[in-house]
Amino acid sequence: MENLLTSPSLIQRAYWLIRLRWVAIATLAAATFVSHELMGVSLSASALYAFAVILLLYNFVLYDLLRYWTWGDKQPSPTRITGIVTFQISADLLILTTIIHFSGGIENPFSFFFVFHMIIASTLCSKRQSYLQATLAAVLFGGLVILEGTGPLPHYGLANFAGHDLYRNSTFIFGFLFVFIVTLYLVVYMTTSISEQLRLQQESLEKANVQLEEKDQVKNEYVLRVTHDIKGHLAAVQSCLDVVLDEMVGPLNERQKDMVGRAHHRTTKCMEFVTALLKLTRMKLTGRLEIERFSLRNCVLSALALVQNRAQSKSITLNHHIDPAIDFIDGEAVLIEETLTNMLLNAVKYTPAGGSVGLDVKRDGTFVQVRISDTGIGVPPADLTRIFEEFYRADNARATEREGTGLGLAFAKQVVERHGGQIWAENNPTGGSTFIFTLPSHFNEPDS
Amino acid sequence: MGQGSILIIDDDPDITEAMTVILANRGYEVRSAQDGSEGMDRLKEAKPDLIILDVMMRTSQEGFELSRELKHNEKYKDIPILMLTGVKQKTGLDFKADAGDEAWLPVEEYLDKPVRPDVLLAKVEDLLSRS
Repeated sequence: MENLLTSPSLIQRAYWLIRLRWVAIATLAAATFVSHELMGVSLSASALYAFAVILLLYNFVLYDLLRYWTWGDKQPSPTRITGIVTFQISADLLILTTIIHFSGGIENPFSFFFVFHMIIASTLCSKRQSYLQATLAAVLFGGLVILEGTGPLPHYGLANFAGHDLYRNSTFIFGFLFVFIVTLYLVVYMTTSISEQLRLQQESLEKANVQLEEKDQVKNEYVLRVTHDIKGHLAAVQSCLDVVLDEMVGPLNERQKDMVGRAHHRTTKCMEFVTALLKLTRMKLTGRLEIERFSLRNCVLSALALVQNRAQSKSITLNHHIDPAIDFIDGEAVLIEETLTNMLLNAVKYTPAGGSVGLDVKRDGTFVQVRISDTGIGVPPADLTRIFEEFYRADNARATEREGTGLGLAFAKQVVERHGGQIWAENNPTGGSTFIFTLPSHFNEPDS
Repeated sequence: MGQGSILIIDDDPDITEAMTVILANRGYEVRSAQDGSEGMDRLKEAKPDLIILDVMMRTSQEGFELSRELKHNEKYKDIPILMLTGVKQKTGLDFKADAGDEAWLPVEEYLDKPVRPDVLLAKVEDLLSRS
């Protein structure tokens, strides 16, 4: 990789150069106006205004060309993009030289603007290209002042601004050019060395990122295998305990029943944890969704039905409101129903008896938004984002409910984000919390 | 009390034992096999009224292959099969899409492991009453 920037950001920079040029054109016109009309500096204003117009046209053409090359998903080759940028810089150097020629040559302090182009070249182009641009600038500007000083080119002096024979003073020309050219090369040297360092850093970061992803993949495969094996053993343990607890192999006394019951309960919890971990890991490993058009309305209703009993046993009121315009959306129905059920169960779990849980489905631009609010214990503000991390449980959640996998919300986050939606939590001002997620959708209007 | 004979084909001896106890307690006649070929031997000895089959045995496909083989066999194709899985969805083996496709997954029912005794008994009773 020769360049600091990747193709897409180089394209952005090419557009950026065009935007900068609009500003430069305005500045040229304004500077001409101010110095000529207001400050009374004598310069060939009409030529400069003409240049502003020519530049304007040039920039329009460039903009159109760039749009044509990058239209839609078109991805021009890196060489072409670099070509566009290099061309722009070289053309700008030529134009700047011409403008300076018509506005005082060596007398014009705008010659400092050559430095800007050196910085742009050094960050956007290769090292070699940057030095070539510096050489081009040196030849153009050096050629201009020498030709003006020795006679072949006319000199358009800036009377009332600089001494009238400065442009013919060879010592001044020599001194000025020396500092000018040294500045150009030094700027290129400094900027390219910084760019190169940044580029190397970027490369090593990218490499590290790839390595991390590979390691994460290996970790996930490992977790998948281990949990799968553990689940097999757990299933056997649970099946055998079931048989004992249901007294199919003989009666149990109270003490025995209690102890086997405890073992059975813990096995069930362990099973839930392993199942949740397995599901989450599989999701991360495969990541493909089976998108179908399904009724979100039915999904919500069946999730509500699943939670109804649990809510009733805690005397929790379950309210819901679904925007009548919302029905079919794209997504994997099984996963979304599971997510809805999980989040409703969570709301019921962390809401004290007698409270209420509400589910609200509405439109949010091209998305549907599902809000599940409760009058429960709320989420400590510092934990609002952390609760979506794997295994993380907020302190008050842990205190309320000792058992919990800490994986439910991580799974919900995976599901929602895989669908291109977002998930987050908020605390209600009146107590309790609201969990919100969005899913992208095309709506089936009731009429259509 | 239940009536009928059941063949369990599962490579996990503990799960097999637990299921045998559950089903025998209800009055069913239960036999078991540890893999597909042993299962075929048991089938040849006597034809059961129901087969309980584990999806994943030595190879992850063995249960599927065996169920296909049985459904293509004139002699055995009318025996209902209850498939047990340690995996539900997202395995690459997609039940949802293919459960309707008899040629691909020719089983009558499938249950996720571990199966609660009451769920197992209800399902078995249901399948036996269908035939």
